[in-house]
Amino acid sequence: MPTVNNVPLLETRHLVKNYVLGGETVHAVADVSLSIARGEFVAIMGASGSGKSTFMNMIGALDLPTSGTLLLDGVDVGGLTSDQLAVIRNENIGFVFQQFNLLARTTALDNVATPLVYAGLSGTERRERAAKTLSSMGLSDRLGHTPAKLSGGQQQRVAIARALVTEPLMLLADEPTGALDTVTSEEIMNIFQRLNDDGITVIVVTHEPDVAQYAARRILFRDGRVIEDAPVTDRRRSS
Amino acid sequence: MNVARALAGWGINIAIALTALRTNMMRSILTTLGVTIGVLAVILAVAVGDGAKISVMDSINSLGSNMALVFPQPENRGARRVVDRGRLTERDAVAIQRLVPGVSGIAPQLRSTVQLVIQGRNTTTTTVGVTPDYGRVANVDIDTGRMIGEADVRTAARVIVVGPSVATKLFGSFDPLGQSVRVNRVPFLIVGVLASKGSSFGNDNDDLALVPISTARQRFASSATQGPDDLHVLFVGFDDGIDLAEAKKSMVRVLRARNNVPKGEISPFTINTTEEFMKQSGLVTSVFQGVLVAIASISLLVGGIGIMNIMLVSVTERTREIGLRMALGAKRSDIRNQFLVEAAVLCVIGGSTGLALAAGLSIVLANALDFPVVVSMSTAVGAILFSACIGLAFGSYPAIRASRLSPIEALRSE
Repeated sequence: MPTVNNVPLLETRHLVKNYVLGGETVHAVADVSLSIARGEFVAIMGASGSGKSTFMNMIGALDLPTSGTLLLDGVDVGGLTSDQLAVIRNENIGFVFQQFNLLARTTALDNVATPLVYAGLSGTERRERAAKTLSSMGLSDRLGHTPAKLSGGQQQRVAIARALVTEPLMLLADEPTGALDTVTSEEIMNIFQRLNDDGITVIVVTHEPDVAQYAARRILFRDGRVIEDAPVTDRRRSS
Repeated sequence: MNVARALAGWGINIAIALTALRTNMMRSILTTLGVTIGVLAVILAVAVGDGAKISVMDSINSLGSNMALVFPQPENRGARRVVDRGRLTERDAVAIQRLVPGVSGIAPQLRSTVQLVIQGRNTTTTTVGVTPDYGRVANVDIDTGRMIGEADVRTAARVIVVGPSVATKLFGSFDPLGQSVRVNRVPFLIVGVLASKGSSFGNDNDDLALVPISTARQRFASSATQGPDDLHVLFVGFDDGIDLAEAKKSMVRVLRARNNVPKGEISPFTINTTEEFMKQSGLVTSVFQGVLVAIASISLLVGGIGIMNIMLVSVTERTREIGLRMALGAKRSDIRNQFLVEAAVLCVIGGSTGLALAAGLSIVLANALDFPVVVSMSTAVGAILFSACIGLAFGSYPAIRASRLSPIEALRSE
């Protein structure tokens, strides 16, 4: 359970990520220093190739920085093994993807219960918690449905339930509305706002200004650097 | 907690594996078929080998469990034979009975091939000239009537005891007891019918007839004998618990002394004990079984390669799923175990099917070949464990490859 303290949820100091592509070094993320506190709703923006995805992979503990420091809840992620990173992802981070990434031919309940398998919970406990989380997403009557029998919006709600089921420190959403129509996109962003109002930290990576308007803070990437980091002035609130 | 976690992990992995295998039903069945055929072949090879062992042991046991066979052939050392023909006489037999400790009975025999005729029907069989002890020593029982007796031998009576096959050939379902049969044109009285001993290796153990040894010597003496009391073969029965190797040494000493064989010369007789038969045929059948199993294992190897191939395809197809699972907190070992279990499940399903087919086929084979084909419990358990091991062995490379994927690249794959 997250404890209330003054340590930022996420802090980066001179974060750098280089790739070698065809003998040439690409500076995907170049010297990013920022900090995100508990309970924030942040939109990370930028065109493709701006470095926002690479940044997201690092704060999601999917990838390690080339240099600089990344602190997640005060823990330096830099020197961790792949198994330790797996535990951090399992316990602290809830991922939501553009393509939902639900397991086909697997019920909504089992999809949501999957992270709990890796947390080592018993079958009964997994099912109870998954069912509870799905209910909070308004899907209590869809527990036994496979993804093929769910609409895009419902699938993304299942994915959000899967991200929430481990009670992570933050939700990390990568273009969560990219595969959805306008109405459903609004519905999903309203859910993120509601979750944030309940105190959950939400970080959304997007290139759509409309989506970013739901956040309270906007960080803009270009060429691997942060060129703007400011509160959202014209914020959209769900009615 | 750790144990619970581990068990929960394996359980969920089996569930995941079954879902994945159902998703590609046709592919799973075909892959499984390779293992099924491999396991079937190996089990049948083991079963036929076990059957051969049992068959050989049975036929040796049917001789009498604690016995030595003495032949008047010079023992064969290398290819060198010193004398052309050995000697074995009734006096040798009596000497063995008197001088060798632990002898329970002797059965000296004269064998010849004769024609048995009754009103238009005839059959050719082997007559064995025997003494009254033959039944006990050679482990042969009487079904109806009586055995060759002391008086028969003393008077060289024209009496005959027929084996069940001979009785059937000549008399069909009629009772042959008390009937007369012409043996090489001489009329004999049938006084008994032997109990059946079945067949071993296609040899009918019931196709023979017994006559008194004295009668055989008078009427059917062949060129194979020289002296007035020469024998074709001598069975020596021993008491239970007698060391047959020691008894053999003792017999060799007695017979060499009686034949005045000088030191260093080769004995003019050969002695085989049932113990030696067991050992020799045990070795032969083990080699036979080993060769069969080795050939059958090749098909199992091919089945295993099929598993590896399909697991590599499965890992490639499910790269995105692997990336997702890693993002949700799966460790490398979780991913590795998931695919290992999938390969093992494939193999165990294939192995169980192969086992079931082998059990069925072994019954069919045993009936068709008139030869025991035995799928033992240990073969069954071994087959299932072995097929799981095949899965783990051939599944480990694809599984390790899956576990080494980078989560980002795996998530990005289409």
